[in-house]
Amino acid sequence: MEELIALLSEICPSIDFENETDLVDRERIDSFELVAIVSTLMDHYEIELDVEDLLPENFNSAEAIYRLIESRRG
Amino acid sequence: MSAKKWLVCFVLTLLVLILSLGAFNWAVDPFGLFGDRFMNWYAYDMTQNPRSSKIAWLDAHHDEYDSYIIGCSSTSSYPTEALNRYFDARFFNMIMYGADMYDVECESRYIIENYECKNLVVNVYIDNGLHYDQESDEMTYSQHAKTEGSNLLSYYLRYLYAKPKYAIDKLMSASSDTYLKQSFDAFNPQDGTYDKRARDVEHISDTESYLEAYPVFGNYPTIHPVMTHIDDTVGSLARIKALCDQHEVNLVVVCAPVYYEYFHCFRREDVRRFYSEIAAVTPFWDFSMSSVSYEMRYFYDQTHFRNCVGDMALARIFSDHTVYVPEDFGVLVTPGNAEAHIDAIYQSGPAEETDVSAVVPTLLYHSISPEGDNGNGMVVSPETFEQQIAALSAGGYTAVSLEQVQDYVRSGEPLPEKPILITFDDGYQDNYTYAFPVLKKYHMQATVFVIGVQVGNKTYKGTDYPITPHLTDRQMKTMAASGLISFQTHSYDMHQSSAYEEGRARIDMLQFEGEDEQAYIDLLKSDLKAADEQIAGISGKEPIALAYPRGAYSELAATVVAQSGIAVTFTTEPGANVVLKGVPQSLYGMHRRFVYEKTTPEQLLSYCSVARG
Amino acid sequence: MSFTSFPFLLLVLGTLVLYYTVPGKAQWFVLLAASYVFYLWASPILGLYPIAITLITYLAALRLSALNARKGSMDKARLKRHKRAMCALTLLSCFGLLFALKYLDGVLVTVGALTGQKFTPLSLVVPMGISYYIFQSCGYVIDAYRGKYPVERNFGKYALFVAFFPQMVQGPISRYRDLGPQLSAARRPDAVFLRDGIQLVLWGLFKKLVIADRAAAVVGTVIDDYSAYSGGIILFAVIFYCIQLYGDFSGGIDIARGVAELFGIEMPENFRRPLFATSIADFWRRWHITLGGWMRDYVFYPLSFSRPFSALGRFARKHLHGAAGKILPTSAVTFIVYFFIGIWHGSDPKYIFFGLWNGVLITAALLLEPVFARIAKAVHLDRECALFRAFRMVRTALIVLIGRYITRAETFLGALDMLSRTVNTFALEPFADGTLLKLGLTAQDYIVLGVSLLCLLIVEGIQERGVKIRRSLGGKNGFVQWLAMFALTAVVLIYGFWIKGEIATGFIYMQY
Repeated sequence: MEELIALLSEICPSIDFENETDLVDRERIDSFELVAIVSTLMDHYEIELDVEDLLPENFNSAEAIYRLIESRRG
Repeated sequence: MSAKKWLVCFVLTLLVLILSLGAFNWAVDPFGLFGDRFMNWYAYDMTQNPRSSKIAWLDAHHDEYDSYIIGCSSTSSYPTEALNRYFDARFFNMIMYGADMYDVECESRYIIENYECKNLVVNVYIDNGLHYDQESDEMTYSQHAKTEGSNLLSYYLRYLYAKPKYAIDKLMSASSDTYLKQSFDAFNPQDGTYDKRARDVEHISDTESYLEAYPVFGNYPTIHPVMTHIDDTVGSLARIKALCDQHEVNLVVVCAPVYYEYFHCFRREDVRRFYSEIAAVTPFWDFSMSSVSYEMRYFYDQTHFRNCVGDMALARIFSDHTVYVPEDFGVLVTPGNAEAHIDAIYQSGPAEETDVSAVVPTLLYHSISPEGDNGNGMVVSPETFEQQIAALSAGGYTAVSLEQVQDYVRSGEPLPEKPILITFDDGYQDNYTYAFPVLKKYHMQATVFVIGVQVGNKTYKGTDYPITPHLTDRQMKTMAASGLISFQTHSYDMHQSSAYEEGRARIDMLQFEGEDEQAYIDLLKSDLKAADEQIAGISGKEPIALAYPRGAYSELAATVVAQSGIAVTFTTEPGANVVLKGVPQSLYGMHRRFVYEKTTPEQLLSYCSVARG
Repeated sequence: MSFTSFPFLLLVLGTLVLYYTVPGKAQWFVLLAASYVFYLWASPILGLYPIAITLITYLAALRLSALNARKGSMDKARLKRHKRAMCALTLLSCFGLLFALKYLDGVLVTVGALTGQKFTPLSLVVPMGISYYIFQSCGYVIDAYRGKYPVERNFGKYALFVAFFPQMVQGPISRYRDLGPQLSAARRPDAVFLRDGIQLVLWGLFKKLVIADRAAAVVGTVIDDYSAYSGGIILFAVIFYCIQLYGDFSGGIDIARGVAELFGIEMPENFRRPLFATSIADFWRRWHITLGGWMRDYVFYPLSFSRPFSALGRFARKHLHGAAGKILPTSAVTFIVYFFIGIWHGSDPKYIFFGLWNGVLITAALLLEPVFARIAKAVHLDRECALFRAFRMVRTALIVLIGRYITRAETFLGALDMLSRTVNTFALEPFADGTLLKLGLTAQDYIVLGVSLLCLLIVEGIQERGVKIRRSLGGKNGFVQWLAMFALTAVVLIYGFWIKGEIATGFIYMQY
């Protein structure tokens, strides 16, 4: 989890990933950043993510992203 | 405020707002559809939309009329007074600018079915064959829903919620309204005609000056109209005819006079078909082409003939020989003569200038006295005067009376070969002492314009200031009785001298700057009335002419003067006068040449011959 | 039937009364009927288009959903092939239709001009709003393909989603998962919804009738004959065009959303105060949001994660260092998206340039962002300070303004000519010598327009600070609420409907 947050913060330094829970819904991250995040995750965790995974509920918080990664790695 | 309360408030606010916007148009009523209760200004309303607001007017006033004349704008040139006289009826003029036969049919149907209608005169203009059922503006050209049979509610709503520009314009216009018509109040609501009071007092003389005033006749626009709506137009006429037969209405169809250049824009085959088809429906009076069409001075502009021509047309229909009517003007067209008539009108041409107009040089004298004057040379000595008159007589000139000139214009009575007019302004006693004997000797007619208040005075009215003595009643009576001298007015008391007046001197008949318009008009009228009564009392004849004091006049003054029964007016502008048969305007604003002591007989003769062109 | 016409008012009122009197289960049907009355009013024949689109996408979604249900029982690769084929076929037929209607003539003419051959244009009638409902229903089909949301089985309810009358002619483009359940829900009249809806409709009318229609007069006069005017006036007119476009489009959307609110239905926002955008990318997040969202979900993301772009991304990250390596593929995709947004506006080649103009700038901004950041740091510039924000707003507005030259001019070359005239023949004299009063507006119109724009700016400024105007107004005292309502209603009635310029215009975005 810490690893993930560090990773995310590197992409979007201005966002508090520990506490935000509305990243997509309140447009805290934009589409460019989302694509950057997804690409980084795929590289880093060596998982396959699809456009179908790009649902707000999957990216609204670091926690949700973590769950998504877990589900793909499992 | 709770949301519920807000909703209630909103609905109420919306209603109040919508109602107040409508109330504004209702109250100002720029189209006169809602009774124009507050401003009562139908002259304006009819100008905005004659089609609709005349119907609204008639709905309230139709019991004042029993006959109607209807058609496009040239219809207004048939004077109501003449219509009423000839038909022995009470006419309303249903002229609608730009009307086509669709408009005419709708309005005629409504009038016949809803009002008392004894006579219906339909005026057809040649371009009625070009258009049918065209509404170029839904506010200003639309028919009343009642005549067109369209939805009344949506019609009234359209005007109730018309953009406020119309109402605001009406309010603004009201603040700049004047006695004379302006572009925004062109109609006389009482009889539906265009207000031509000012238009019909304009000075008309020779062709050159007319061209200067109306350059369009010098460079007439050429167009190539094609009559695509003959069938529609004649169809409407046929339905009007049937309707009139059914309701026992006397239908008279006239084809209006057309300026020849416009007439010749039309294709001959169109005209032939148009007129023959109309003749097949009903006999009609055709005035469209004749020598009148070739005379630009019979037209206000490129398409509208003058009221005086309307008078001629009606005189032709009713065979009134007291009015001048050119012989080739007006033919009753029937199926039998239609073809021959159409061939004939294409043969028509202009009348000889000398057959329809006359040049009348006019001389202006003041005092005739051996005493000379204080230097301006306007006092002519008796010797010089006699020399001048003798020269004119020897030159073959005949001094005629104003009545002779008027008869020439009105009914075409011939004038002597070289007519001139001799006039004297102010009415000095020396006119009696020195001029009268000379005039008698050479048998020359003359006109004296007296200042009413000065008659018989040796001192300026109400003062002891001595002035050149003025004619007395008795002298005037003697002169009038000779049959040579006619007395006309130079105003009763509107030629004052500023030297002797205490307040602001009324030196001429013009309105003072800042003077209330109505007060001025009242003053002018009462002055003319006083002069009228005085001169009629002395000479037994009411004056028909006025020489404007100082020669000064305005459109307003000329209009009021004409309304007071004055048919001839003189200025002091030098130059020629051409009087035209059938055109009473050629008697307005006539020019005169000052004659001085130093004026030689040669100069005088040369003026008279130059004036003759 | 225009949103500002009397028949539309009657339709809304009639539908409202029916909607709230019929039983809850039938309410959606009232909306469906009203929607088709609205659509068929213009032309019964053109009504076949939405029916056809509805039918195609409805069946496709059902089929895709059935395929998704067989996930376990079917070979995964085969299933995917099946689904792909199904989805592609549907999208091709829908967009093919759109292409034939809107672009074919333009393409034929362009191709003809390039090859010297002459094609007879088909001159097909483009039914109103077809872009909107095709985008909306195709988004629905793609969602069905992805299988993340349940599909609608009731044909009528689905048809209502496609044709819901407030939105069908100019958006906003909704997603089924947001709008569908709202459309079929049973509702009782709710005063708050009604009030808010009326307020939004009034605000939309204000923007459309009072502002946009006035601005339109100047735009039409000047730009259709721009060579007769000097640069200053051309610039003035293009600024008016921006005002017109915003007032027209966002006003229309406000009316649509307001009407939907009367029925208790909330539709997505389509505009978020674009004047306050600080970058061109930010502008496109504030302008026509639902189109941008559609492009993001159905073009940007799929392309970004498609095989070629993923490969490009991996390649770039490996071989290019720094920021460029990370964002190269994103930039490429962005470029493509704006190309599509450009041609979405029309078939004329100028729209390609319009797309490129936006795409190039956004891509450049993305690529150069790290450079800017370094420069800012070097000169100790606080990029979040108010002054710099204002500078960015002005800069963005200028970029948008130049883009508007392209969309408003007849052709791209015309736009260039207008731009060059703006610069080369710029003069201030025409603003003082009465020229302004000959452009179709009276002095009174300018005053009305100026005051209205000021109001608009103030309201949007307040909104930009996060205040919900209608909510905050609801908390004010009764008189203030009434005053606001009275003022807005009176202005709309008087300056929107009653005192209108001679030129009344339809909604611009209805053509798309």
